[in-house]
Amino acid sequence: MPVATFSFLLFISATLLVYFTVPRRSQWIVLLVASYVFYASAGVKQLLFLVLTTIISFSAGFLLAGVKNKNKKKFILASALVLDFGLLVFLKYYNFAASGINALLAGTGFALPVFKLLLPLGISFYIFQSAGYVIDVYRGKYPPERNIARFALFVSFFPQIIQGPISRYDRLAPQLSASHEPDFDRLKYGIQLMLWGYLKKIIIADRAAVLVNTVFADYMNYPGSIAALAVLFYCIQIYCDFSGGIDIIRGIAQMMGIDMVENFRRPYFATSLADFWRRWHISLGGWMRDYLFFPLSLSRPFYRLGKRTRRLFPGKLGKIIPTSLASFIVFFVIGIWHGASFKYMAFGLYNGNIISFSIIAAPYFTAFLEKIRIDPQGLPWRIVQIISTNFIVFIGRYFTRGPSLMAALRMLKRTVFSFNMQALRDGTFRTLGLSGFDLFLIVAGCFIIFLVGFYQEAGVEVRKALERKNWLVQWALVMAALAVLVFFGIYREGYIASEFIYQQY
Amino acid sequence: MEEKLLKILKELRPEVDFTRETRLIDEDILDSFDIIALVGELNDTFDIQIGPEHLLPENFNTLSCILDLVRKLQAEG
Repeated sequence: MPVATFSFLLFISATLLVYFTVPRRSQWIVLLVASYVFYASAGVKQLLFLVLTTIISFSAGFLLAGVKNKNKKKFILASALVLDFGLLVFLKYYNFAASGINALLAGTGFALPVFKLLLPLGISFYIFQSAGYVIDVYRGKYPPERNIARFALFVSFFPQIIQGPISRYDRLAPQLSASHEPDFDRLKYGIQLMLWGYLKKIIIADRAAVLVNTVFADYMNYPGSIAALAVLFYCIQIYCDFSGGIDIIRGIAQMMGIDMVENFRRPYFATSLADFWRRWHISLGGWMRDYLFFPLSLSRPFYRLGKRTRRLFPGKLGKIIPTSLASFIVFFVIGIWHGASFKYMAFGLYNGNIISFSIIAAPYFTAFLEKIRIDPQGLPWRIVQIISTNFIVFIGRYFTRGPSLMAALRMLKRTVFSFNMQALRDGTFRTLGLSGFDLFLIVAGCFIIFLVGFYQEAGVEVRKALERKNWLVQWALVMAALAVLVFFGIYREGYIASEFIYQQY
Repeated sequence: MEEKLLKILKELRPEVDFTRETRLIDEDILDSFDIIALVGELNDTFDIQIGPEHLLPENFNTLSCILDLVRKLQAEG
């Protein structure tokens, strides 16, 4: 049941109706049933992996609570993580590895079987969420859940299971169990947030996708300028697709009285690549920080490495090397998390290299700026930083959207060596699937998002500011948004909007 | 102990007034690289072992929170 369909809206309405009519103490059961119905609608077979992950993580938490011995605890934690992530790794990377091995051993008669593996909806999101829970219980952050049905709801909560945000148990589970009265303001805010998300997704992302798909499907036949335009449109598409989807998810939860974590904080206003990743897919970044970056940086091998680097390079450099190595590893993992392909490895290496290098170079660079009398906190320098960060992100997108690593490199090469500015003016644009009006909608949409982002960056709470306006203005805005959605939304195959990019991860 | 800690923090981020800030983590004043650098210094200076399980906002949001954590870990020996 794709989120941008009428059947999904009907499903939400029915769920809300039942949710607010049953006795308050049973509300969580309504959510659990709705979550499983929603998930089963994507394919009953996929339920197997969800149930398995739930049982593994719940049992691990339960066992950890009863054990005092440190080694036994470690064993339980390791087993749960191997089982949980083993499932993910097998489904995601087995075929990639098997085809690689088969290619190496071609001619020897030995060949590993290659299966038709379909990645279950949102599997990495619920596995990350459950694994975080097990690690937290192991660390003694909170006691384990004793009721498997309540835990099953934490893992499967239906709006978030599609593409996150990756929630933490201590923040989400109490809200799922609590009683919630219908609240007019929350319903209103929720609907507003959903509308905003749908506008991003159906008006901008799905429209930009038309141009992106056309160019990338036939990338060798376009000059560098069109390739660059397609990558720029992809930057717009992926932001509006992913953050729009998260807005819809958070809006639904908000109507139910549940606050989910923010996943985006205006990433295109970031002043460095590290800052960008703190603002983009925040819940994944937070997960990686708490469960990979911190343990890695504080592990014994890294401690020993730190001692050695401090001896070899006295001063700041020696202290920074282990941290930048750890962050490099994190980015590599995030890269391959996106999929089993060399292009994602390259994407991880690209980000990891730039961030590690900038950590090491930062003190020297600040000293250089002081020397040439540029204020690193001043507005002009901030604008330069924002533009250069966006440029770095833009280059990285060649890798994530390119059909393969080679294709991405070829497109990059064309952008640099055969740009051909003329192609932007000679009518080629009109062959890319978008009309002038489509382009107007995308540009206008991006401008509105930029304006809202600009005010939010300045500390203005846009929704609250709108609330102080006349009720007529407020209703007119909501009606205008609905009209835009109905008349200008991109609907395919008889009113079925396309699915989200991130739900495949 | 407080003076030693303040000295470490000042060296790490000279522009921050650590005696006043109460949301060092919640407001991203200290990022994850700062935290790792800080933990390294705390471990060496106070002869303690801060693990990933201690890296919670409530242990690092204020000067006194950090002091409490150091004292607690020293007491646990």
